[in-house]
Amino acid sequence: MKKTALWLMSLLVVSSLVLAACGAPALATTEAPEEATEAPATEEPTVGPATELVVWADDTRSPIISDLGNEFAAQYGITLTVQEMGFGDIRDQLAVAGPAGEGPDIIIGAHDWLGQLVANGLVSPLDLGAQAGEFLPAAIDAFAYEGQQYGVPYATENIAFFCNPDLVDPAPATWTEVVTLAEELEAASGGESTAWTIQTNDPYHYFPVMNSFGGYVFGVTDAGYDASDVGLDSEGALAAGAFLQAMAEAGHLTPDVDYDVMHAMFTSGQVACIGTGPWALGLIRDSGVAYTVNSFPSGGVQAGRPFLGVQGFMVSAFSENQLLAQTVLTEVFATPEFMQALYDAGDRPSAYLSVLDAISDPDLAAFGAAGAEGLPMPAIPEMSSVWEAWTNAITLTITQQQAAADAFATAAQQVRDAIQ
Amino acid sequence: MKGKSTEAREGKPSLASLTSSLPRLALRLAALGIIDSFSILLIYTFIHDGLWPLAALITVTTVIVNVINLWERFYPLRWMSGAVAIILLFVLYPIIFTVYTAFTNYSDGHLLTKVQSIRRIGQDTFLPEGGVVYSWTAFRSPEGEFLLWLSDAEGNAYLARPGEPLALVTADIPGMGVFDEGGVPTAIEGYARLGLVDILSILDSELAPLEFGEPPLIIKIRSVREAAQLQQRYDYDEESDAITDRLTGIVYPANNQTGFFESADGAALNPGYQITIGLGNFERLLSSPALRGPFIQIFIWTIVFAIVSVVSTFALGLFLALVYNDPTFRGRKIIRTLLIIPYAMPGVIGILIWRGMLNQHFGVIAANMVTFLGWSPGWFTDPIWSKVGILLVNLWLGFPYMMLICSGALQGIPTDIYEAAEVDGATRWQAFWRITLPLLLVAVGPLLIASFTFNFNNFTVIYAYNEGRPPIPDTATPAGYTDILISYTFRLAFESGRGADYGYANAITIVIFLIVASITIFQYRFMGMWEEVSENV
Repeated sequence: MKKTALWLMSLLVVSSLVLAACGAPALATTEAPEEATEAPATEEPTVGPATELVVWADDTRSPIISDLGNEFAAQYGITLTVQEMGFGDIRDQLAVAGPAGEGPDIIIGAHDWLGQLVANGLVSPLDLGAQAGEFLPAAIDAFAYEGQQYGVPYATENIAFFCNPDLVDPAPATWTEVVTLAEELEAASGGESTAWTIQTNDPYHYFPVMNSFGGYVFGVTDAGYDASDVGLDSEGALAAGAFLQAMAEAGHLTPDVDYDVMHAMFTSGQVACIGTGPWALGLIRDSGVAYTVNSFPSGGVQAGRPFLGVQGFMVSAFSENQLLAQTVLTEVFATPEFMQALYDAGDRPSAYLSVLDAISDPDLAAFGAAGAEGLPMPAIPEMSSVWEAWTNAITLTITQQQAAADAFATAAQQVRDAIQ
Repeated sequence: MKGKSTEAREGKPSLASLTSSLPRLALRLAALGIIDSFSILLIYTFIHDGLWPLAALITVTTVIVNVINLWERFYPLRWMSGAVAIILLFVLYPIIFTVYTAFTNYSDGHLLTKVQSIRRIGQDTFLPEGGVVYSWTAFRSPEGEFLLWLSDAEGNAYLARPGEPLALVTADIPGMGVFDEGGVPTAIEGYARLGLVDILSILDSELAPLEFGEPPLIIKIRSVREAAQLQQRYDYDEESDAITDRLTGIVYPANNQTGFFESADGAALNPGYQITIGLGNFERLLSSPALRGPFIQIFIWTIVFAIVSVVSTFALGLFLALVYNDPTFRGRKIIRTLLIIPYAMPGVIGILIWRGMLNQHFGVIAANMVTFLGWSPGWFTDPIWSKVGILLVNLWLGFPYMMLICSGALQGIPTDIYEAAEVDGATRWQAFWRITLPLLLVAVGPLLIASFTFNFNNFTVIYAYNEGRPPIPDTATPAGYTDILISYTFRLAFESGRGADYGYANAITIVIFLIVASITIFQYRFMGMWEEVSENV
């Protein structure tokens, strides 16, 4: 429903209360002003001149857009009005505000929202032309859906294999080495420390493991991910599951590990290696523990390739200023200074090549390099039925409540049933 | 006051009171006028947006408010008109909307109305094979006519006007002024060149809709740099209710069973649109593998969870209330205050702290249990112990509330009954079971039922504790041992298939409402027996 409509509706109710007060015996009239003050706080509808664009961004990015973005946009006579909201809320809010005509012109978002956004008709295709060459190809590909480009990427994110060089140096290159390392470390420390741990309930961090044995989530065709080919029970996925369960059975892997526990184990030296992303760099650096950033070990097929997530800007399909919004993306946002400012603000490798190449932080550069090898997280809407089934298979495997092969076969069947 | 109400009842106000109420009458009519004009504006907006039910509801509300305020007979109802408006708009409408949505396919992929969907699909363009892309410069005449200077990759330049064929620029075309370093004239006779800022301010409103050139060569502006021979890709034909893809020639008739424009081979255009699908969502729920699988198990656990939560919090709350109700107890006020803390604290924070304390690796409770008992259960991984853990956490969260209401209700039991019981030789135990508990239940019974209903749908605790985990092996749809109905169905509606399905979710909501309502009615009957008991005391 339109915001203005809601506003008017509230007014209707309030004025009918006032009316009741007016029509009533005189003693009640004193209450009327009180009722009137209860009128909900309302915002002016944000309808501006054509050269004003509304941008929805998260708290990290919005100051850059309001300051630097506006400075650049002013050359074109454009004003950017930035509305700040939680990164994840942007997707949900767009679905409500867009069709009601109250939405933004430009949003910040993640590439894996695309399936849902396109299915709902909420974002417009755009044309980057030759400018596409200024971006990391994997990031441009990630923002293409069904053959059309929908976003201008600014950052990539993926996990890498962190190892503590005091416990293991060099980092293990295969999962077999990880098992050997676990045995050595446990024997040496009396079970106090081990080689590797992983969250009990999290497929995102598990994907490189599964992938290194040749497992996959959805098969890939020329057109992108193919929802009819579910790979959670593929040969490689089952091999990875068997490895995970063997680790748990041998006592190298313990259940009930969440994000905080995993990082606490790493920073306290209880575990030599974990898979985590650039968002944990601050925490790990502050703890003073020694670390290296590496590729994931190989399970025999390949070195584990993490999911690649890409963040970027998109144009709302309900914007009245489609071309103007695109102009801002290509002329204002896709510039080295602006991309540099976005990189400086967030702990993510840039998706803009000139900024990416100039990254001086060796850790982020390593993440960027690993990201070029990453596989874009599937953006197809069917992915939403995968997470829970996949999580359960991993949990059942680690807690040894079910044989890994059965757990992953069930998960694959659950996904197939859900998407039919 | 009394006099006035008598007048109102008789409907014949005296002359004196009529003159005194004249300003008030004027005020009332003025206020009514304002309300009516707002309503008309609202109704107009809603009809324009196709929100018919809401428009109808506002009409009904306005008519009721008008009748009540203009007709002397309904004078006593006048105070209620505000309440009526609130009930209709903010209580009744959401309920109607929920029920209505349960009969639609409103979900990811079907968020838009059919009109919006056609409009969105119509936005797509394509560049036909061999289509040329130009860079462009815009000129405008004082009359507001536009002229484009186009240059292609080969270095040819053209002049393009709407509705006229493209004119190749040759050296002998007159009217060109001075050329800039890019080879574009700075002015053309009768036209002024537009600067970037000017262009941007009219880009979408004036330039983008224009079609330059003459069929078959139509040039449209594609971006601030490029114009191209773009064509609208999809064409909607109202008569056949179908969309034709001009690029491939495939026809996509509207399928009003699925809410998509679908071709003969089943390919659908994005986005789909909203339609009503009758009982489709309910049929889907009943035939869902979700019902074959762990449904019964989850339903039983839901009831156990709700009952144990209510009974345990009530028992502990009552016990503490009795203990600290004793005026001889020293420092009871401070202790009672401290005990209320879990209630004052946001539940989610409390649960997160408990999660930390129960964690197998770093949790203080788990560590102490290992130290003193040599063993600690898997509070989040063991099917039984995770249930025990969640009940303990919910007990901690819930007992202060029960303590509060019991403390209050205990004050209401007259002390002379206890004195009489003592005279009759009753023990304190007997007095508790025969006097305190029955009288207390009369007062707090409805609250216990409310608490049951609340816990039946206590999504927060379940999700914050362990998201319904640990998982149950070999289920048809993902499910966990601590899942209750609401968390299980939340996942069905929002985390499976192809994204969020609001229509399905609302259908599930209605079914859960029916379940809870029937349990509650049963409980009220049961509580009725207590009321009879109280009458006999």
